[in-house]
Amino acid sequence: MSSQSSDSRLRDLLQYFGLASVGDSSVEKKLTDLRRRKTVRRLYAGLGIVIAAIVFNASLNAVGFSLTELFAQIPQFTEALGEYFPPTTYYGIPFIDFMQYWNFIIAENLFAASQITIAIAIAGTILGLPGALLFGIMASERVVPYPFNFVFRATMSLIRAIPALVWVLILIPLGGVTPFTATLAIMIDTTGYLGRLFTDELEEIADGPIEGIQSTGANKSQIVSFGMLSQVFRQFIAWIAFDLEHNVRVAIGLGLIGAGGLGLELDIQRKTFHYTEMMACILLVVLLAGSVELLSQRVRSYLRDDDEVEETGILEAIITAPKKIITATAGRRER
Amino acid sequence: MSTLTVDNVTKTYGDVVALDSVSFEIEDEFVVLLGESGAGKSTMLRCVNGLTHPTEGEIRLNGDPINGSRSDIGMIFQQHNLVDGVSAYMNALTGSLDRTSTVSSLLQQQNKETKERALEALQTVGLLEESHQRTSQMSGGQQQRVGIARALVQDPALLLADEPVASLDPSSAESVMDYLKKAASVHEVTALVSLHQVNIAAYFGERFIGLRDGEILFDVSPEKLTPGLVDDLYGNVETVGLATDNSDNSTVDTSDGTRYDTETGSDGTDEVDVIGRQVES
Repeated sequence: MSSQSSDSRLRDLLQYFGLASVGDSSVEKKLTDLRRRKTVRRLYAGLGIVIAAIVFNASLNAVGFSLTELFAQIPQFTEALGEYFPPTTYYGIPFIDFMQYWNFIIAENLFAASQITIAIAIAGTILGLPGALLFGIMASERVVPYPFNFVFRATMSLIRAIPALVWVLILIPLGGVTPFTATLAIMIDTTGYLGRLFTDELEEIADGPIEGIQSTGANKSQIVSFGMLSQVFRQFIAWIAFDLEHNVRVAIGLGLIGAGGLGLELDIQRKTFHYTEMMACILLVVLLAGSVELLSQRVRSYLRDDDEVEETGILEAIITAPKKIITATAGRRER
Repeated sequence: MSTLTVDNVTKTYGDVVALDSVSFEIEDEFVVLLGESGAGKSTMLRCVNGLTHPTEGEIRLNGDPINGSRSDIGMIFQQHNLVDGVSAYMNALTGSLDRTSTVSSLLQQQNKETKERALEALQTVGLLEESHQRTSQMSGGQQQRVGIARALVQDPALLLADEPVASLDPSSAESVMDYLKKAASVHEVTALVSLHQVNIAAYFGERFIGLRDGEILFDVSPEKLTPGLVDDLYGNVETVGLATDNSDNSTVDTSDGTRYDTETGSDGTDEVDVIGRQVES
């Protein structure tokens, strides 16, 4: 009796996994088939989870990840937090002492350091622009036929494979660890990075305007400029704004290894354990990167939208001037 | 004065025969290509324009074989194919690219005659005042007229148009066709226009070539374009005959200004069989 019931339980189980048939009708056969497929899928999913768990565990071991150490270090971190955010009281209410940051920013003239960082980003972006345009356009299959465009594609891939941080290290013999070298590194980085964005944008263009220009009897370079580049001109400007934003972040990173600007100040304060001053630098970094991003967002949304951007109040005064500059640059005409 | 000779042209795409030994010759006429979608109209025009090459046969303009796009053949596309981000004036100027070097065309350093020619072409299509506007802000009909202006700046001997009014409303379609015909007659060029709308075709055309499955079905003058021929071309399509059915009704509603509606009126007796042909009375 008991062996009979265990037999039927085993059969139920086999049927559930689609390993035993549930009947002979075509519907029942298909049901068995579907169950077997599901079982196979489950096996693969299970295998995937096991592999991921093994790799995860190996990674944790490799980096020496240890919760015990994390807990042991918490008091020290709390102490540092107190220095990061020095407490004080305003009218009896405890708060962060912003004056300490401000005094340090003024004393060390951190705004000048921020200018250096921005200058590295702007100079590097503009210097890299001709290269990015050349490589970006030549890498497009529509401009240079298939096997040859890969020369340009590969060059850009090579440039991107080496991070800007490493480019600075490579270029140190040229200019030392200075803002100058950082600018050169960003120039090279821009060629690879912005050029790739240009190429991708060129892949999306429509055939119509190209044929339109071709039908007028224009030569090849005129077809490229009027038929193709005219379609992506505004997108290119938007990508340049995006890349400038990216390069400001890179410039801060380059400062950390000594190439000047805000990053350098940050690194000096870290090395001398002046945590309050270090946090002052970080706050400036947030402010700097944030405002550049805001500006670049603004430019891009204006260029992508065909409609007029709505502006009101104080913003209007700030926005109108750059808008007019962009309008003139991008060839958009006032209505 | 120009003569377009299409000599035994065959075009195949793999196994598909788009054009099958098509031959015709046109000289200083406004010729309309009719036919169903896929009948080979676009392929014909693309071959004449040099955007694609015939598999067999030859196309000649004034005896000179056509091997590629050239400036003396102006093309107007269904989808305008203009440069979107710039003004109508700049678009008209692209018609002069063949006569201008790359650098000077990029710097807009065309000579004064070319610039004036571009503005005159825009005037011909009624867009002189709007010439500073970006084409992407223009209506479909206006964009198509900019396309005509661009073709005119090329100073063409032959004007081609591939379904220039297919995506336009009836009133814009008519005005674009008006301008196209005016452009062709003012500049005294041969025109080859493919159209879907039989009524518009009948109103504007001076000669009609019907294509079916890549072969010429008819090649007739306006008087001989009968509903029977059109039925042969499209099969029995009820709506194509609309204008003819209305022709004996003298109170056709023309409040929307569609002049290509048949309006033979009281003296419309012997013209009844001709589709949509306006009779001067």
